[in-house]
Amino acid sequence: MALTPVLRLDGVSFSYGAVPALENLSFSIAPGERVALLGRNGAGKSTVVRLVAGLERPDQGTVWVGDWDARDRAPEQLARRVGSVFQHADQQLFASTVRDDVSFGPRALGLGEREVERRTDEALEDLDLTPQAAHHPYDLPPAFRKLAALAGALALEPALLVLDEPTIGLDRALRARVTRALLERSAAGVALLVITHDLTFAAETLERGLVLDRGRLACDEQLAGLVGDATRLEPLGLVPPPVAALSAALDLPGRPVQGAEVARELARVARGRLAP
Amino acid sequence: MTGGRLHPFTLLAIAGALPALAWILPAPSGGLAMATIALGLAASRGLRPGLWPAVLTAAPFWLFLLLLHDVPTTIASGLRITTMVASFVWLVATLEPARLVEAMIAAGWSASIAYLLAATLSAVPVLKARARRIVEAQRCRGLSPRGGIAARLRALRALALPLVLSALHEVDERALALETRGLVPGIRRTPLAPPPDSAVEQAARWALLLACLAALARRFIVPRFL
Amino acid sequence: MRSLTLDHASFWYPATASPALRDVSLEVVQGEVVALVGALGAGASTLLLVAADLAPRVIGGRLAGTVARRDRSGIVLPTPWTQASGMAFTVWDEVAFGPANLGWPAHEIARHVDRALERLELVPLASRDPVTLSGGELQRVIIAAILAMDPGLVLFDEPAAELDAEGARTLWRLIRLLAKEGKAVLLATSALDAIPDVADRVVWLEDGAVRAVGTPDLLAGLAVCDAGLGTSVATVWRASGLPEPYPLTVAHAVHRWR
Repeated sequence: MALTPVLRLDGVSFSYGAVPALENLSFSIAPGERVALLGRNGAGKSTVVRLVAGLERPDQGTVWVGDWDARDRAPEQLARRVGSVFQHADQQLFASTVRDDVSFGPRALGLGEREVERRTDEALEDLDLTPQAAHHPYDLPPAFRKLAALAGALALEPALLVLDEPTIGLDRALRARVTRALLERSAAGVALLVITHDLTFAAETLERGLVLDRGRLACDEQLAGLVGDATRLEPLGLVPPPVAALSAALDLPGRPVQGAEVARELARVARGRLAP
Repeated sequence: MTGGRLHPFTLLAIAGALPALAWILPAPSGGLAMATIALGLAASRGLRPGLWPAVLTAAPFWLFLLLLHDVPTTIASGLRITTMVASFVWLVATLEPARLVEAMIAAGWSASIAYLLAATLSAVPVLKARARRIVEAQRCRGLSPRGGIAARLRALRALALPLVLSALHEVDERALALETRGLVPGIRRTPLAPPPDSAVEQAARWALLLACLAALARRFIVPRFL
Repeated sequence: MRSLTLDHASFWYPATASPALRDVSLEVVQGEVVALVGALGAGASTLLLVAADLAPRVIGGRLAGTVARRDRSGIVLPTPWTQASGMAFTVWDEVAFGPANLGWPAHEIARHVDRALERLELVPLASRDPVTLSGGELQRVIIAAILAMDPGLVLFDEPAAELDAEGARTLWRLIRLLAKEGKAVLLATSALDAIPDVADRVVWLEDGAVRAVGTPDLLAGLAVCDAGLGTSVATVWRASGLPEPYPLTVAHAVHRWR
């Protein structure tokens, strides 16, 4: 029994006026799958996000969100299935407290008060934002506002989370928070589509990489194999993250790309060398 | 094309003279004439970018006037206000801030004042672009901009706060940012491309000023002698 | 020759009781690149604003201690869309905005603008309207705009945040080139892995105070790694339980491994 993909792009082409942005793009994302959308600036990544959120309609082809044709749905309807967080989301918060802002989404979906509270509390906890819940969003530094915006999308409990550069402006500790929260949600069945320049974050958080190059899909494969391969990444304008590059340079068994695994392999190999 | 290539001071003169004449000339014919011209100018920038915002912004004023005054007063004041609004909408759509800055610098104004005026002028499209981004982000969280009055009011309120806050924050940041771009008090900014000014346009500007003064004289001074 | 000297500098933002900078003493000489690292809120951005003579002069607040500057400074802020003038038709005009404000003669302006556009690989975009640019492109325009004013002290606050990998690489190379030309560069960045190739010295800020100063090797230290500020390679080496000293980069690690 084939599961309906959470998202499916079928031959999608799109131009901003006379400027082509996407050409014949096709891919699908299964429930719970964690996908990175990579590529140079200008490769078309943000356009994909706008199409999936329903803010633009493809010139050709179809965007399927579950069994809905996104062309027939308004963004506020698609919000039932897709939680989107755009770049500079820290400028788009509008309630007087973080908690109110986060609970806005589930309330707009028409859920009962108790359910709204549950989802809000969980979203805040997942990102360790509960201490800031009663603050005015604009009293918080931009990094925390970004987390609040993400919490707002988590609270929608959508089948698919679409995030555009969620870690710009975050330090390592906050990035780790985001990774943790996203992995937890994914384990519960939420699919992820994340645009990011941060390949270290991608390697830690996501499993599959879609690389766009001038509006076309240049690459669609597991990150574990892709992210350490400098010869493949370079023509696409990408650079292997240091940990993956380390793994490749030292030829660690299994070529792990995530920090914890690399650390383990380093220790193992080092112990092996010391043994007579 | 209405005014795209005219000197910025000419554009300012027109946008100032129309409302001035609307107030000075006898109502309602004066107001009607000026409002028609102003709306025509706004419409020449296109229906959606020009005429529609002018009408939409003026409409609430007509409503308030109707609630407070009788019909003749409503018409007289409404036409005057419409002239102001439509002139401003046309000005914002036609006058490019960069050209205004160049014109003022060439005329000897200080850079700071020129930038202040230009920033005021460009505030509207900047806020519009920002509002659009905010509305988009909110729609993607389930807020529908359509629906009944209650829904629309809720949507408006949800838009107002982030817009105002980010606009205020932006003013602060802009002041700081301009400082980083070499604004030193006392130094005359080098003009890069002063807009060309013709004798015809200069004469036209004087003519507009004289027309306003003449109308003023005719309205207030002449009757004393009658 | 010293370009910037902070001597026991402390700074309080307006209406704030606790200082954002505490007793910071720091020197940046011409021809060197100094990187500021620290957790969010550690004071790197504040330090740059003080160095740029924007704090307290423009933003208010209170400064204790002294700040001495030998050269004109230019600062690149992390938000290019606010630093753009909003009053330029084209990228060329945007970059010329600063020099024009400084009152330079037109041919001087043209020389500096053309040079800056070339260095930031912006020549193909020179006639574009800045409003149509992406965040990354606009960031490069702002960097060009600040460089066109020929500052002796160049301050960068997270300049690579909006850039992709290639853009970042070009930027780091440019920064090294600026130092080679004799400029003093002070750079706040969270791109820790790039620092060994860019910076001559690293200053670790914690809660507004200088915790440590050293060469980029500082980023392979135990305490730094535990604070989440080590390079990726040093951090993973620490996590593996292998002994100090930790390698700073992949190249160091390969060397150690043999």
